[in-house]
Amino acid sequence: MQKEAVDAVVGGLTTAGVNFISLLPDSDFSQLQRRVGNDPAFEYVPVSTESIGVGVCAGAWFGGKLPALLIPTSGLLVASWPLTSINMAWGVPLLLLIPYRGDIGDAFWMMGPYKQTTEPLLNVLQIPHTVISKVEEISGAIVDAFGSAISWQRPVAVLLTGETIK
Amino acid sequence: MKRYEVLKLLAASIAEDTIVVGNVGPISREWSTVRPSDANLLQVNLGLCSAVGLGLARALPHRKIVLLDGDGNLLMNLASLADAANQAPPNIVHIVLDNGAYEGGGGLPSVTSLKTSLGEIARGAGIERSSTVDALEDFDVAAREALGAPGHWFIAAKVETGSVPDLPTQTMDGPEAKYRFARYVERTEGIQILRPRYTHI
Repeated sequence: MQKEAVDAVVGGLTTAGVNFISLLPDSDFSQLQRRVGNDPAFEYVPVSTESIGVGVCAGAWFGGKLPALLIPTSGLLVASWPLTSINMAWGVPLLLLIPYRGDIGDAFWMMGPYKQTTEPLLNVLQIPHTVISKVEEISGAIVDAFGSAISWQRPVAVLLTGETIK
Repeated sequence: MKRYEVLKLLAASIAEDTIVVGNVGPISREWSTVRPSDANLLQVNLGLCSAVGLGLARALPHRKIVLLDGDGNLLMNLASLADAANQAPPNIVHIVLDNGAYEGGGGLPSVTSLKTSLGEIARGAGIERSSTVDALEDFDVAAREALGAPGHWFIAAKVETGSVPDLPTQTMDGPEAKYRFARYVERTEGIQILRPRYTHI
């Protein structure tokens, strides 16, 4: 992920009002994760599985925080159970920020399955999502997605692909 | 000791404004009977009680957060103990009502009825104030100490299986519980949580 993309994500999160971030370390987001971990604008809770991250963010929201969860592409599969049992069942908001590995252009065989799982799973979970491939679109997409998540009281996802995660 | 007796003892010593997060199943039914309160966030699903509690503890570091967990529930997400311990929260009392069984799921034994000690696991995860108790008077002492002092506390309360007859049925679903609890936190903290029109942007 290039510095310009990291800047755009942090700018979008800040403009949106996000003040609580949970994440699982991920190679595609590593520069971004270091940045938000060292930024006092965000309360920062690293977790050992994405399912814990979903729960931590839900608890933070109940305590008045405005949370986002930064997880790997594969982590969406792990997170699907708490997303169902907390966010869908109770109506709890969450911004999901996910690098879209396995999208067209990702030339690594191991990522291929995520083209078949990521967007279909979001659709099954009825999580609205937007796919962003241009750095200049990142910040606005995050601001829009977060506003929708908070006011609709449901998760909304931003998938980053193309030049945004190169 | 009986879980219901443990919970009655806890209810007698807990402050009115102490937030309690409880896992789905008999624990939530029993707790809502002995301590009905909008400060309860109950029926949190499997493996997520300690994660939700950690998020609340970080968001409200000045409020005591009590977690009422089950052994099977916690076993599903043991890493949450390590994640919480490394945040060093000053305000979590994590109580596991450990009956060594999946009582809400039909009663088959859990691994804590065999070799596994949740108290030792919690200590190994980094929660230094970890204890295991199997008598009511010991639980009372441990709970009062934890409720009365800052820190991250873990109490594994070894209880028998079985609930009490004629418990009231829980009539609140998740969305209603969410609104009641969120409004309670808004009221007691003077903050806004529910934002049907998000005006920050």
